[in-house]
Amino acid sequence: MTPRVKKLLEILQNREYRKSRISKEIDISKQIDGKNKMERDALRLLVMLENETVCLFEDERMGFNRTLREIPFYIDVNGKRSEWSIGNFTPNYANVIGKGFEQILEEIDQKRTACSKEQTEFLDAAKIAIQSALKLAERYKETAKNIGNLELFEALRQIPHKGAKTFYEACVFMKFIIFTLRCNSNTHLTLGRFDQYMYPYYLNDIKNGTADNEILECIEEFFISINMDTDLYLGVQQGDNGQSMVLGGCDKFGNDVFNKLSELCMQASIELNLIDPKINLRVNTKTPFELFKLGTQLTKKGLGFPQYNNDDIVIPGLVKLGYDYEDAVNYVVAACWEFIIPNCGFDIPNIITMNFPKVVNGTIHNTLMQCETFEQLIDNVSKEIKAECDRLIKSSFYSLGSSPYASIFVDGCIEKAMDLSQNAAKYNNSGCHGAGISNAADALAAVKKLVFEEKTLDKQELLDALNCNFEGYDALSHRLLDCPKMGNNDDFVDCIANEIMDVFAKYLNGKENNRGGIFRAGTGSAMEYIWSAKNVPATADGRKAYEPYGSSFSPAITTNLNGPLSVIQSFTKYDLTNIINGGPLTIEIHDTTFRNDDGVQKVAQLVKAFIDLGGHQLQLNSINRERLLDAQKHPEKYPNLIVRVWGWSGYFNELDLPYQEHIIRRTEFSV
Amino acid sequence: MCFKGKVFSIEEFSTFDGPGIRTTVFFKGCPLKCMWCHNPEGQSFEKQIVKNTNGCIECGRCLDIGEKLTGKRILVNESVNVCPRNLIRVCGVDYTSQELVEKLLKNISILNDSGGGITFSGGEPLWQSQFLNECLELLRGHTHLAIQTSGYCDETIFLELLQNSNYVLFDLKIINNDKHKQYTGVSNTKIINNYKALCKSKTLFCVRIPLIPDVTDTAENITSIAMLMSENGASYAELMPYNKMAGGKYAMIGKKYCPTFNEQKDVEIHKDIFDKFGITIKIL
Repeated sequence: MTPRVKKLLEILQNREYRKSRISKEIDISKQIDGKNKMERDALRLLVMLENETVCLFEDERMGFNRTLREIPFYIDVNGKRSEWSIGNFTPNYANVIGKGFEQILEEIDQKRTACSKEQTEFLDAAKIAIQSALKLAERYKETAKNIGNLELFEALRQIPHKGAKTFYEACVFMKFIIFTLRCNSNTHLTLGRFDQYMYPYYLNDIKNGTADNEILECIEEFFISINMDTDLYLGVQQGDNGQSMVLGGCDKFGNDVFNKLSELCMQASIELNLIDPKINLRVNTKTPFELFKLGTQLTKKGLGFPQYNNDDIVIPGLVKLGYDYEDAVNYVVAACWEFIIPNCGFDIPNIITMNFPKVVNGTIHNTLMQCETFEQLIDNVSKEIKAECDRLIKSSFYSLGSSPYASIFVDGCIEKAMDLSQNAAKYNNSGCHGAGISNAADALAAVKKLVFEEKTLDKQELLDALNCNFEGYDALSHRLLDCPKMGNNDDFVDCIANEIMDVFAKYLNGKENNRGGIFRAGTGSAMEYIWSAKNVPATADGRKAYEPYGSSFSPAITTNLNGPLSVIQSFTKYDLTNIINGGPLTIEIHDTTFRNDDGVQKVAQLVKAFIDLGGHQLQLNSINRERLLDAQKHPEKYPNLIVRVWGWSGYFNELDLPYQEHIIRRTEFSV
Repeated sequence: MCFKGKVFSIEEFSTFDGPGIRTTVFFKGCPLKCMWCHNPEGQSFEKQIVKNTNGCIECGRCLDIGEKLTGKRILVNESVNVCPRNLIRVCGVDYTSQELVEKLLKNISILNDSGGGITFSGGEPLWQSQFLNECLELLRGHTHLAIQTSGYCDETIFLELLQNSNYVLFDLKIINNDKHKQYTGVSNTKIINNYKALCKSKTLFCVRIPLIPDVTDTAENITSIAMLMSENGASYAELMPYNKMAGGKYAMIGKKYCPTFNEQKDVEIHKDIFDKFGITIKIL
């Protein structure tokens, strides 16, 4: 780590950068009065950027640090405060970084010559947005010159009006894009295949005599820089900001494209110990074992990434959903785990959630008394899953806010002179999470075993016990907990899980949304493992009322697990190409396992075994229960303790209690 | 073949009990009572009620029922079903060799793909030799088989089991017999004899040395171990530095952990001594 990087890391870890923040409510209702929808958005960005103060830390080469806490707002015709805009996509950074904004402006002008009024409004708004972004860059350039920050000054003489020539310029351009999009209120922007679109700049620099360690320093500066403003990029919890990066994977010929730059990004992540970028590795059965070992070195750091994504499952899964092979092969991971297409896609992969335990529990309450066989119960569950899909689909129809500036970064928008919100992107699909699959399958397995096979449990007794949350039914609650559980490689329950996933996926996949796209079924839960579970009473798997589910595609948190070998087999029995919206299996491993090379090697072998078995997505946590408990008692001792939450990592101290508690409970059965 | 064995844990993905990814089967019961033992639930040959204290909300229901049934505030079989967090279990499961092997075979391809296999540990697996031998015979040819042992048993039994194993993890703790008795409760005569027999056999093995501050990690003891190894042609040892969490499970079985050595002291590795005797070491 170079002295410059060390210094920047200190600024970050001491939270010094937050001192330059200003709170200022800017109401632009008057300014936008009478303007069209597109222009309003552009003007909001203009006001935001005009009000931004240039902020550069000593020795810093990236620039573009936020000083304004809040983004300007306006009161719309319905009296509603409008702030939020679209997000959760991967911009085509390469296109803009390569061309520079002047060329983009030319493209807009050319297109403008033959356009409808509506199209012209979009293009004009895009121009206002670009010009205000260019003005900000100009101010940074002047300041850099005045304070003698010559490297940044030189870079800003080239970009963003012209395309980047060097790796460093491309990194500054990246930061500039991220900064301006965030100022434009675009949330959960992901970094995509950084090691691919930045690779030409890397190669060019190397050809011109730049050394790898200079590139590494630049990557580290960029990584630190994108951590600076994460307190402002709020999702459901702090840290849920979408800054995921994908490394490696295959190209359309099936070649492994993990390159020297990918390796340097891994090295930077291992050295820095930061929450961003969240690293995703794309792997497949042919991936060299060394990459799994390198990935495990990063897991060892305890940041909760890399997350592994299996090309062999994801690509065919996306093709089955109708994505062109050339696009599917280029897939990236959205904010958490959702598989999306960069550059040309604008999928909303997290719009609805199938709450499996709720559906199963409702069906048990409403129909169990009338069921003579387990098959009848399963039939009823299937019907209810389908009915729930229909209800969810209806609830998902709403119109999106426009975002002309964001649209510049997605293929097709300028060509069609249409905003992203007008479905200008090539893909406009919607995703549905599948929360609590294991709890739901466990509940059905318990009913099958005790009620229908052993006939040792009376239906009414079960319903009574559920209704009173097992109060006075201790023994029954334990019998339910002792039934076969998903995660222990027991076909009795795993087959039930397969069946409900199959009904869900086959019914939902391909159903039309209201944006000209389709729905896609997944195995993720996002925050729903806590949120949705809060409304669901006791379930037949032995889960008490309102207790959380397992996160995403994981065993229930009360399951007494045989161990990770059984877990990975349980969670790879289904053909996961059918259910490819995303959602990882999560495994907790005690941090002492990583204490020497043997341990690292064996964890890497475990990951490889999961991929070979046909798993789609895996996330490992190196965890130390004692440290987490101590951090709850003495938060002051652990200001920089990072944990994986659901699809992202955050600072433990900055999480709400239920999320802290869930992480700690997951460790009770860790290896 | 109706003989049953008693097992207190089956650990999938044990990472430090031999090559590759392994499943380790822990046999219940051990003739030694090592002061630093970190698996105290493996010492007794009888079933025990144990409580995982992680996550306990101290509602007291488990002890209430014990009091009701025995008059004492202790864990009883019935405590298992009243714990709201499902943290109490009976430690010690009876298996026939077929039952156990069937369970182990479910993961066999993952184990074999990683160059791993199955390790029988404990407790002391050699003290359930008939059961162990049945398991080994049923598994032979399916995967790599290892035994982790204190070496404390009759030589004939030991030699018979060697025939069916691919690998032995053999503990050498203390060479001075008085001290061995003091810290483990038994004499080391049989252990050293079995060690010599192991060296003469064709079975691959490695020596494992628990490093306990001021008990096993003294220069004198390490020199004696290294000398014994080198006299018998062994050149590789795995060192297991004292685990400061060793006392963690005593509360689970209602016992107190009372080491007489200083737990907080860092252990000595004595690489120089091993070097002198031409022994390669690995620290686990």
